[in-house]
Amino acid sequence: MGKVVGIDLGTTNSLVAYVHDGVPRVIRDGSGDGLVPSVVSLGEDGTFFVGREAQRRLLTAPSRTVYSVKRFMGRGIDDVRDDASLLPFRVGGEPGGVVRIGLADRELTPPEISAFVLRELKQRAEDHFQEQGEFDFEVDRAVITVPAYFNDAQRTATRDAGRLAGLEVLRIVNEPTAASLAYGLDRRDRGIIAVYDLGGGTFDISILKVEDGVFQVLATNGDTHLGGDDIDRLLVELVLAELPRQNDESKEQHDNDGSQKQDPSYADEAAGQVWSSSRADQGPGGAVGRVLFSRPADQIQAIRKAVIEAKFDLSDADETDIRVDALGYRRRITRTEFEQLIRPLVERTIQPVRQALADAGLEPSEVDEAVLVGGSTRVPLVRRLVSELFGRSPHSELNPDEVVALGAAVQADILISGRREMLLLDVTPLSLGIETMGGVVSKIIMRNSTIPASGREMFTTGVDNQTSVDIHVLQGERELAADCRSLARFKLRGIPPMPAGLPRIEVRFQIDANGILSVAASELRTSIAQTIEVKPSYGLTDQEVERMLIESFEHAQADVDARLLIEARNEAETVINATEKSLRRPDFADIAAADLQPGETERIEAALAALKQAMGREDRDLIRDETHALNHATQHLAEVMMNRGVREALAGKNVKDV
Amino acid sequence: MTTLECRNCGAGAPVDDHFCPQCSRILALGRHGDFFSFLGLSRKLVIDQGQLERRFRDLSRQFHPDYFYNASPSERLASLERSSYLNDAYRALRNPISRIEHLLAIEGLPSPKSENGTAKVPPALLEQVFELNEQLDEIRESRESGGDSSVLRERLEAARKPIDVKREEHEREVEALSARWDEQFESATGAEKRATLDALRERLLERNYINNLLTTIDRECAVLGPQSPVHRPGTSDPGPEPKSVDRGL
Repeated sequence: MGKVVGIDLGTTNSLVAYVHDGVPRVIRDGSGDGLVPSVVSLGEDGTFFVGREAQRRLLTAPSRTVYSVKRFMGRGIDDVRDDASLLPFRVGGEPGGVVRIGLADRELTPPEISAFVLRELKQRAEDHFQEQGEFDFEVDRAVITVPAYFNDAQRTATRDAGRLAGLEVLRIVNEPTAASLAYGLDRRDRGIIAVYDLGGGTFDISILKVEDGVFQVLATNGDTHLGGDDIDRLLVELVLAELPRQNDESKEQHDNDGSQKQDPSYADEAAGQVWSSSRADQGPGGAVGRVLFSRPADQIQAIRKAVIEAKFDLSDADETDIRVDALGYRRRITRTEFEQLIRPLVERTIQPVRQALADAGLEPSEVDEAVLVGGSTRVPLVRRLVSELFGRSPHSELNPDEVVALGAAVQADILISGRREMLLLDVTPLSLGIETMGGVVSKIIMRNSTIPASGREMFTTGVDNQTSVDIHVLQGERELAADCRSLARFKLRGIPPMPAGLPRIEVRFQIDANGILSVAASELRTSIAQTIEVKPSYGLTDQEVERMLIESFEHAQADVDARLLIEARNEAETVINATEKSLRRPDFADIAAADLQPGETERIEAALAALKQAMGREDRDLIRDETHALNHATQHLAEVMMNRGVREALAGKNVKDV
Repeated sequence: MTTLECRNCGAGAPVDDHFCPQCSRILALGRHGDFFSFLGLSRKLVIDQGQLERRFRDLSRQFHPDYFYNASPSERLASLERSSYLNDAYRALRNPISRIEHLLAIEGLPSPKSENGTAKVPPALLEQVFELNEQLDEIRESRESGGDSSVLRERLEAARKPIDVKREEHEREVEALSARWDEQFESATGAEKRATLDALRERLLERNYINNLLTTIDRECAVLGPQSPVHRPGTSDPGPEPKSVDRGL
């Protein structure tokens, strides 16, 4: 058995953590960074970049780079049309089916893209365990977190992503609940906790009761479409509105929705293409019916980067500049202006908070502690709002970016160790029902029911000798099926032929501890179990997941190669930079004369040139060998430099001391 | 009363046991119908909420799927089913009304829910319903001919008062009947107990009707425009849905 980790698969960033000696820890890279940007980019040679590397490509290869894919998990094209129009990559899919994302010639589903991020985290953890000298460093199981308000399709898509990444998903845990576990480790007290989680793309509020180590969620609510991304989008729109028009004259023909301009040379660079076969005017492959944003994608990304930096500044500063050098744009923005702009967004969190409190049967004053989770809770306006809502200042002792991953690691540890000090009792965020006569929903499991939860419903036939019944399963609070989320359609088959109304078919719905539904049925008069054919409305079938697994294995070797090449290049670059820095020192000639052997400088220069030449090629082994050679050639120089540095430092000290 | 068979060792176990007395493995759920006995409580309506919560937490700690991750498939299934059933039981018994509904169900009375929505006005409410409908008709008429909404709102508030009074009165009756059931529980004859249950069932039917009336008034208020600033707890929130009560078998 390999290692088990906890993963926070976020909209903007993802993290991996594990429990060591009873303490959860985030696994960081060499520079101490725990965040892996949830960005995936398709390289020109067909290999994939993930994380920081992919994030850099947002500016250089925007149409090949996907971010915020979490917003598309378990969704259909009709749900995401608004979002897609602002994104630089192509978003499409059949109406009523899963979203597909087009990157150059590849077309991928959101779970496949998320799987790249998960594989990167798995790799990061395995590297870490290997460095720690662990014999069995493979990571094969994980607890993955999702927003509490994720529906069944979104949870299932997340689990599929885990499978595609080669991970057994032990448990899908709700993010705010995971955060409360991380907090609960230090503070074993009892009381009512409100977790306010505003992340990159989603908002959750969970109200928990903690007693005797049992973390019981009383109610949860949220908005799976509200987060830092939306704040960024408002700021991008602000900048776009202020940019001089002359800059986009050349693109003006694309301004209108539905513009039929087909320009292959431009298509790959254009921002915000949506293709969908639901449009009447489209052809095969669905590449028309575009909503084109008025600027090239790299400009949009440059603006996005600039506004995000400004947003971060405004968490501490009262004013800052939005600077987009590439466009010669610069603007002062005060925190007051910023807050005016985003207030309507932030206020959208109020209603879910009130609803969750009402569902829990509590007044705001009965909440003992409010906890902040998610990067967007760094925005001062958000903090003020939470203080006002609960009449107390919220907790944020733990890093709001990391607390969810820490909690996921704790839950993973509970599952594999069987330790019983802590127990998490979560709820299902949305009611589950089935469509009945007239398109009305009959609720079977109510929202905020503690999970696992089950429900039963009796069915019968409408016609004599009918042998099958269609069942439509929905999730949501509205009365009409059309207003709820379609989860799946089932066909009950094998009903023994009987007069209409006589069969008594019991359908049993089971929501497991992951918040994921399964269905079973039997005819009670004959005790014949029915076969159920599942067609998930916005998910992948098991066969599709299998096929993707096979495909990902085919691509896996290429991906590993690409990754190793990048790592070799990064290492080589570090050594080249350090060497060049030494050679350029004004006192280098003196050092060489005093401490280096004859010909040593030439040997270093030769090794440097050889490595630089190797960098221009795709041969990882060559780059690695030349890196070693340069390292070897500069070893003596490095010692000399270090000794001089120590001498100088000591000398400096002596002068001061005297 | 051995009705459960342990799938691990084949030993028999009482129906209310959760773990096999012989091999101590978790038992498959079987057909259990009584939330009270499942939680180890007597069939009484006045419940110590603290005790109920503690029972729920204790049993959650024993059954939860978190602790059966490494167990055999049949034990994992048993853990899932027992946990689901425990959650249903806790949800039903926590709320006084759904607790009564469950009691009625296991005592063999037809569910008051099944008659919900039928037009029949409970006799005890005839007078109030008649008066209210008359008032509502007048208010609607006046609204359509452009009557002042603040005056209409006041009239709605006035129409609501007797219903609110009735509701409070009603709640006290339910409480008194619940207490009577608990007193009778050990000593009374079957007929006496049955009379109490019938009365409870009658009250639940009336209660549904009263709630519907209040919802109608709320809807009229909403039509008049912005929500009235007066907050009325208990009417906008239907409370935990007792629907799942009927479903435990």
